[in-house]
Amino acid sequence: MKIEIQGLNQIYPNGNHALKDINLEFGTGMFGLLGPNGAGKSSLMRILVTLMKPTSGVVLVEGQDIQKHRKELRSILGYLPQDFRFFTALKTWEFLDYSGSLAGLKNKRERIAEVDRLLDQVGLLEVRDRQANRLSGGMKRRLGIAQALIGNPRIIVVDEPTTGLDPDERIRFRNILSQLSQHDVTIILSTHIVGDISSTCQGMALLNKGELVFSGSPENLVKNAEGHVFKLTLSPYDYERVKEHYNIISTIPVESGWEVQIVSDTAPDFESISLIPNIEHAYVYFMEHKLHTELGE
Amino acid sequence: MAFLHNIRTVAKYEAKTLRRSWFFRLFSLGALFIFTILNIGFFSPIGDENWELVSISSSVPYLNLYLLNIGQAIVVIFLAADFLKRDKKVDTNEVLYTRPMSNFEYLIGKTWGILSLFLALDLVILSIAMLMNIISKSMTIDFMSYIYYLLIIPVPTIVFSLGLAYVLMSLVKNQAITFLLLLGIAALDIFYLWFRMGSLFDYMAFGLPLFKSSIIGFDNLRLIVNQRLLYFFLGMAMVLTTILIFKRLPQSKFHRGLSIVFLILFASGAAICGFNTYSAYRNEINFKKLVVETNRKYENRNFASVTDAEIILDHKGKKIEAIANLKIINDSKSPLNSYLFSLNPSLTITKVTSAGIELDFRRTNQIMEIDPKKILAPGLTDSLLISYSGSINESFCYPNFNDKVTNNPYRIIMLNINKRQAFLGEKYVLLTPECYWYPVAGLNYYPTNPARIKIDFTKYTLAVKREDGLSAVSQGRMKNDKEYTRFIPGNPLTGVTLAIGNYKSDTLRVDSVEYISYYFPGHDYYKNDLKEIRDTIPFLISGIMRELETNFATKYPFKTLSLVEVPVQFYSYPRKNTQTRGEVQPSMVLLPEKLSTIENAGFHKRFTRQKRWMDRNNQILTDKELEVRLFNDFIRNVFISGENYTFVNGVASNEPLRYRLGPSFYFFKNNFYSSDYPVINAVFESHLQHLTHEGKSDDFMTGFGALSDNDNANLILKNSSFRDLLSKNPSGDTIRNVLTVKGDWLFNLLRSKAGLTEFKPWFAEYIDENRFKKVDIQKFSEDFKARFGFGFYPELDAWFNSKEQPGFLISGLKATEIIIGERSRYQVVFVASNPESVSGIFNIAFRTSGSKGKELLDMKIALSNSQSNNGGGSKFFVDATGRGMDADNISKIVFLGPNEVKKIGIILDAEPRAMLVNTLSARNIPGEIEFPVNEIIKAKRETKEFSGEELLKTMPPYTEASEVIVDNEDEGFITSKLNITSPLKSLLGIRNRNGKRYLQISDWNTPEYWQPVVLSTYFGKYVRSAVYTRSGKGDKKITWSTVLKESGYYEIYAYVGKTTERISVKTGASDDNSENKDDENGDDNKFKDMHYFVYSDQGADDITLDYQHAEGGWNNLGRFYISSDTAKVVLTNKSSGRLVLGDAIKWVKQD
Repeated sequence: MKIEIQGLNQIYPNGNHALKDINLEFGTGMFGLLGPNGAGKSSLMRILVTLMKPTSGVVLVEGQDIQKHRKELRSILGYLPQDFRFFTALKTWEFLDYSGSLAGLKNKRERIAEVDRLLDQVGLLEVRDRQANRLSGGMKRRLGIAQALIGNPRIIVVDEPTTGLDPDERIRFRNILSQLSQHDVTIILSTHIVGDISSTCQGMALLNKGELVFSGSPENLVKNAEGHVFKLTLSPYDYERVKEHYNIISTIPVESGWEVQIVSDTAPDFESISLIPNIEHAYVYFMEHKLHTELGE
Repeated sequence: MAFLHNIRTVAKYEAKTLRRSWFFRLFSLGALFIFTILNIGFFSPIGDENWELVSISSSVPYLNLYLLNIGQAIVVIFLAADFLKRDKKVDTNEVLYTRPMSNFEYLIGKTWGILSLFLALDLVILSIAMLMNIISKSMTIDFMSYIYYLLIIPVPTIVFSLGLAYVLMSLVKNQAITFLLLLGIAALDIFYLWFRMGSLFDYMAFGLPLFKSSIIGFDNLRLIVNQRLLYFFLGMAMVLTTILIFKRLPQSKFHRGLSIVFLILFASGAAICGFNTYSAYRNEINFKKLVVETNRKYENRNFASVTDAEIILDHKGKKIEAIANLKIINDSKSPLNSYLFSLNPSLTITKVTSAGIELDFRRTNQIMEIDPKKILAPGLTDSLLISYSGSINESFCYPNFNDKVTNNPYRIIMLNINKRQAFLGEKYVLLTPECYWYPVAGLNYYPTNPARIKIDFTKYTLAVKREDGLSAVSQGRMKNDKEYTRFIPGNPLTGVTLAIGNYKSDTLRVDSVEYISYYFPGHDYYKNDLKEIRDTIPFLISGIMRELETNFATKYPFKTLSLVEVPVQFYSYPRKNTQTRGEVQPSMVLLPEKLSTIENAGFHKRFTRQKRWMDRNNQILTDKELEVRLFNDFIRNVFISGENYTFVNGVASNEPLRYRLGPSFYFFKNNFYSSDYPVINAVFESHLQHLTHEGKSDDFMTGFGALSDNDNANLILKNSSFRDLLSKNPSGDTIRNVLTVKGDWLFNLLRSKAGLTEFKPWFAEYIDENRFKKVDIQKFSEDFKARFGFGFYPELDAWFNSKEQPGFLISGLKATEIIIGERSRYQVVFVASNPESVSGIFNIAFRTSGSKGKELLDMKIALSNSQSNNGGGSKFFVDATGRGMDADNISKIVFLGPNEVKKIGIILDAEPRAMLVNTLSARNIPGEIEFPVNEIIKAKRETKEFSGEELLKTMPPYTEASEVIVDNEDEGFITSKLNITSPLKSLLGIRNRNGKRYLQISDWNTPEYWQPVVLSTYFGKYVRSAVYTRSGKGDKKITWSTVLKESGYYEIYAYVGKTTERISVKTGASDDNSENKDDENGDDNKFKDMHYFVYSDQGADDITLDYQHAEGGWNNLGRFYISSDTAKVVLTNKSSGRLVLGDAIKWVKQD
């Protein structure tokens, strides 16, 4: 599924310019949308799933404007919102059945079979008859992904899916998404947790304060950071000096003082080792260093 | 179809969610419990099986859904308002919003989900009701009514409530405010709007008449359909509005367009239905106005009288075609150059001929003016043939009545019944004279004198073309020929009634009267219920009829008495010109289907209940004896006394007087008329039929705070003459009160002139000789003069035109035991004066030691237990002295001219305990005054017997020279005006009662202000009044002040009017004949310490008067020196009792 976002702007009645002229294009596979809180990711997600109308700009799915073809989009869409905690008084399977029925699964027998299959897939079959409100946070998320998957959607939008999950649940969730991305679907994953953008994301975009600051593959993002990530071992005195001039990624106490990782355009004046950057390094380099440097902030 | 699939899906899960909400569970469980108990209690064989409810089986679903609907309407508000809030709060709903369904499907699904859940609850409750219905032996089952009521009552209410809640929640966006608004709207409907503008605002169908007859079904389908569709459509329009403003991006242009189209359709439908509902109401009002205004144009014109009328009628579905062959006479004093008739405005006149010549006529609404092409001189007759056809407009029948359902509720328990005055349908017809279905030479209402009536005694014959399977019922002997059923009444009638329906009949001949019951198949349940007395019924009827004839001192004038079953919706309004209701016609009574509005017509249940009661109390009565008791009880209550009132929230919910047979003994038989006093017939009727009052209970429950009818009438007449009063078009109650007082006055005058014992047989013979004739009151006066030497006609001028009233003062009452012959007798002497400028009369009765019963004030107010043992509500009747044909309860009538004083002496056989004076039409309030006889003096030997009247020359002084009295009626009496209105009351425009109107002391509603009350034991010249208030902290005061001419010592007295006599109060709840404990000195518990502040030269002294130990009358507060000009005494509301009472203060100069 080819999704094109063209000149998208979202200005809320309170004047908040949540999205600023966003232009983006991506296709089948997992697409990551990364950005800090308040970057405009959720606004973009809500526009993508037709919960909100943009102030200007269009979103095209296979060349069709989703605001003009909401029904068509909704019929191929699975959506897991950022908040997915409170249910009406329905059981786990009933909620899924409700979603499946609205997703177009009209045959009751087939629908029930699909409900059970998905519950099994997300590991919730045992709590099939439990009130959905009584599931744990992780279970609710899994139920959320199950309902997003019901009806074989072509586009799956997941907004901040791992927020508040414990590490096990987070890993389990990432695995589910990875498995899904193997199929012929477009998954749009929005997150402010860099680790969620796994290597399975074919494409990604960085949003900051409503602006698109990067789009491309995760590899490209990482490549940008090559030669800009350094590891230093510092005395407490030097640590204070480094803190003033560099963006520190991590700080680990060692016997002689501190072992820190920094991003910098050039090698620092201290003894340092150049590291091979990962996506987290790349994100910090991009968001904390490069943007600040470029914008002169 | 995806469309339906989505709606069904949303509905299914919405219903599932709601079903699991605690609120709905609590409500449904509560409803199931309550309605199971209710159905068992009302309808099952082990329950009450109240006849009013079980007689017509449609009341089962109606009652259930009527009550359930009120609860549901409230619960829906909470659930529906919760809906959008929940959608907002429950984030998981967003995943549903991204599904391929339109807003239309989503909201319609939600609505259907909630609606279906409530309907399912309704169905469960209806199933319980139906089960009771099936197992009940007293009821038939009306299956269709279950469906009808389900569609009529809850569906529009729920849809409207949902729509309103959605819209308000969408717009207000605050759940608490939305709740308040919605609850406010619901409360507004139940408490204020439910009957207004033809039930236009009654979305709960709280006051909408929905009763379904077992004979004709729903009779007001047009109103029901329009009113209910109005709320269904409005509800749907609001649901669709919510769809358009719903906070989810619309999915489908088509569905959005569909929503707009449906919104327009539903809104238009609602507008049309609302317009229809309102216009039906408005049209009726306008039409009635038109009738009144048309009548106003003709009320001073002369009408002929119809002596003979032959009506040939062809019933054609919802129309009639008729020819009336009328013989008229000009019995007025002026020649007639045109003939005027009234005819129902929906009947079109096609042709008028006289002696084969077609006459011109002009129609102005209900009035037909025929040009006879000649002048009909007084006394001459003419014949007319009038052809007409059409339907009946019922709004014409009681044009002065703008139906306020609150004033004239017509319900079975709480179920509202539509009021109909005529029926003209394919399967059923009922046409009474009140709908003017044939030409009548007179008006149905005289706007400038609503008490006026024109009555013709006409020899009617009626021929009705028969239709297959239907029988015609009317007055007179019935004869069937090839095509027509003919009716030939044996006597002239005041009007003729026609009913056509699937009637069966039974005839019973008792003495010389044929009793015919006309009923619908299966409605003769009473035959089985009273099977033991089948052979005895003729004797019972004979006895009852003889009793009636004795009461009215005249024979039943007709050869037949038909009891005709009519649909329950038939209802006549009380009229201002007669106390006869439309349910009672000459020789005919129109009874509601299965006697459904008459509680004690449930013979079977009453039989079993009483049998059980007797078994428990070891009483032995055979089945036959018990049935006799039930039958007598029923007949007496329905046809004679009309006592069987049922009250709901203090308002009589039934009108038992509607079926009384009284009119047969005067109104349908005699007519006194006068061109100068066109109210005379109503006056005669009021007095002779012994009717007292019908209407609101509080007006005649004098013992419970309201003033008596007589006193109300006299207060009204204080400010205007009889004539002026009538021209102001007063209320029906006022007219009835005044007519009765005026009638009592007139007949007491006649009795005083003729002699108490002589008048009755003469008058009984007189009206018998003149039966079915109209008698000019002038002729009656001349005949009276010829017999008794007194022509009363000149007295009528003042009686009708003067607003002056006499006032009576009674003093020097003395009772002496004297010996006359060999026998000990009691002589009562007193002085009566009338210081006013017009003459007057009053009558005297006595309560003696030999009075029947235990010291009952049986001639004043009898709060009587019903003879029935049904344990129903309390029943009351008020009986004034000297009223009715049989006025044996009075001892003497005294006539006093202007400024006349008389010494009156009366000899009694029994020892008097109290003298009761009824001042009839006078300034005295209360008009019925009781003077206790506290002492019987043993006469000396030389005491002369004095019986009769002696004219005295000097007027007895009202006060002694040495004393000054200030009564609460006097100028020197001032009440504090502290009567603060709360801000909420001000906002809502609710005014406090200002205490200007006289009442009697009420235990239930004690005022916060000084309320004037009247009682014969209070002090007063004419108005024996006092003021009372709720006790308090002393912040409310009353002051008596006067200017004393001389300084000196004064004894100061306060008047305490105490109820010193026993009043026996029995209530209908008692099952035996034992009286309840007498409430002696009942005031004692209410009144305790009274604090009088006596102002003198020593300052203000707080004198406490203990009411419980005070004397009835003047009580000394002490001796004080007063030198100042103005003396005053103040009484505050401070007291440890519940009430404080203030009456009069007396200053007595000491030598």
